[in-house]
Amino acid sequence: MTPMTIAPDRKRLALLFIGIVALYAVVQAGLSAGWIGRFYENMLMNIGINIMLAASLHLIIGVTGQFSIGHAGFLAVGAYTSAVLTTKLDQPFFLAILAAGVVAALFGLLVGAPTLRLRGDYLAIATLGFGEIVRITLYNIDYVGGAAGMQVKHLTNWTVLYGAVVVMLVVIANLTNSAHGRAMLAVREDEVAAEAMGVPTTYYKVLAFAVGAFFAGIAGAMYAHQFYIIQPVAFSFLKSFEILVFVVLGGLGSLSGAVLAATLLSVVNIYLQAFPETRMILYSLVLILVMLYRPQGLMGNRELGDLFRRRAKEA
Amino acid sequence: MTTKARVLETKGLTIHFGGLTAVKDVDLYLDEGELVALIGPNGAGKTTVFNLLTGVYRPTAGEIRFFGERIDGTAPHRLTRKGIARTFQNIRLFQNLTVLDNVRIAYQVNTHHTFIDSIFRLPRFFREENRMLAESRKLLERVGLSAVEGELARNLPYGMQRRLEIARALATRPKLLLLDEPAAGMNPRETQELMDLIRQVREAFGLTILLIEHDMSLVMSVSERIYVLDHGALIAHGTPAEVRKNPRVIEAYLGEAAEDALA
Repeated sequence: MTPMTIAPDRKRLALLFIGIVALYAVVQAGLSAGWIGRFYENMLMNIGINIMLAASLHLIIGVTGQFSIGHAGFLAVGAYTSAVLTTKLDQPFFLAILAAGVVAALFGLLVGAPTLRLRGDYLAIATLGFGEIVRITLYNIDYVGGAAGMQVKHLTNWTVLYGAVVVMLVVIANLTNSAHGRAMLAVREDEVAAEAMGVPTTYYKVLAFAVGAFFAGIAGAMYAHQFYIIQPVAFSFLKSFEILVFVVLGGLGSLSGAVLAATLLSVVNIYLQAFPETRMILYSLVLILVMLYRPQGLMGNRELGDLFRRRAKEA
Repeated sequence: MTTKARVLETKGLTIHFGGLTAVKDVDLYLDEGELVALIGPNGAGKTTVFNLLTGVYRPTAGEIRFFGERIDGTAPHRLTRKGIARTFQNIRLFQNLTVLDNVRIAYQVNTHHTFIDSIFRLPRFFREENRMLAESRKLLERVGLSAVEGELARNLPYGMQRRLEIARALATRPKLLLLDEPAAGMNPRETQELMDLIRQVREAFGLTILLIEHDMSLVMSVSERIYVLDHGALIAHGTPAEVRKNPRVIEAYLGEAAEDALA
């Protein structure tokens, strides 16, 4: 239910803030004291990057309803932009992260402006094409190592990644819960009616694309500086598809669903690496089972907060 | 006669779809405060005229003026911002959103906070969101939908969905309201309630209304003037009494059977 007036709920904000800080502190302490080994540290990094990808695509598909399957393209743009800045041009990591986001957002505008006139399947094909163009262009640029890829310094750490994830989630949640987010939802629900209600649909589609691409670009910077090497092959259609699966599995339209699905599948994926021959089969089985038993996705279109609120009401 | 502002005027409005001329040389006008009906048999091009007036289609020829200003070729959302709102023949609510959100989206036209205000939750965000919320609730109360504000639009009974469509159009604060068969599929009692609502909001908001409707008794009783469209062209225009007697209307639209209906 919408409350009578919209005001910051200080108690809830304080709790949320304490939770965010506590999670950071516990993990940071674990990392410095050595309870959390390399294996789990890598897992955390993987989860963080996947959450960024899932949440940024959620804004485009789940909220605005634009079916984009070229998200790995923005990831690649961010990864290579930041890698060139830190390794070739000796710029600080922080600047490289921002630049990765901004350049990816510019690509979002570039792709969005002409292709967002397309709908449904046609948009999907156009964005797929964009992702492939980025990948194949990278193959052919010797400056960034072509197919062999590019060596990158390891700079991503828990503090930076955690900060980026928190900032992104706050931005996406705040944007969604406002008149602007509702306008995006209107575009998803019925474009013709949205226009008739005075919603500039093209503006909101491009906005969603640019903001989504911005955070995918930042995820790219995190990715590049985590795995020592980046190669075009890592940003293929399969990567875009993996991100799409997070969003669909979490429940279209649910931010916490996307985060939850990205977390779960990242963990499943890592443990399945012990079974290299059957890994993809098992992964697919997990997806099939979830879709059979929860076709609306893990969270449907609800958010984590709704569950607590309902419980509070019943009590 | 007092001189009233001319709200809407079309001259030679025409649109072709491929080889088909859907609307041909339509001249019509609405003065401030009028309630005018546009009638015609199925497929006569009534909804196409609406789509031309609201910018969904761009006319092949002719011009449309809104308070004297040329508006043909303007994007639909800009026309809404200028003060033209519409409802749809087949209800087009935001099905998976709540009743309240449906109306709030339409109020968006009058919001003055940017997405930066939203992201950082600046004071302007709270001020504007609360204003929108209060005004949306006031409007829902007026159309009798307060009790269901938290329901998803798709779960509403049919009559309420029609009301919500009107509420949503009103939220954009129109000067001109285009209603596309608002009483379609309603029983006589619901139709009566709907007409009362339309009369009420017309008074309260000082609206000019153009109405497409099939229910003849309804059209005859509420409208001040009637335009009759057949095969994309206007074949008659006048007061209900004049239109009722027009032989071309009787032949083209009402047919033989309808003569008794009108008698």
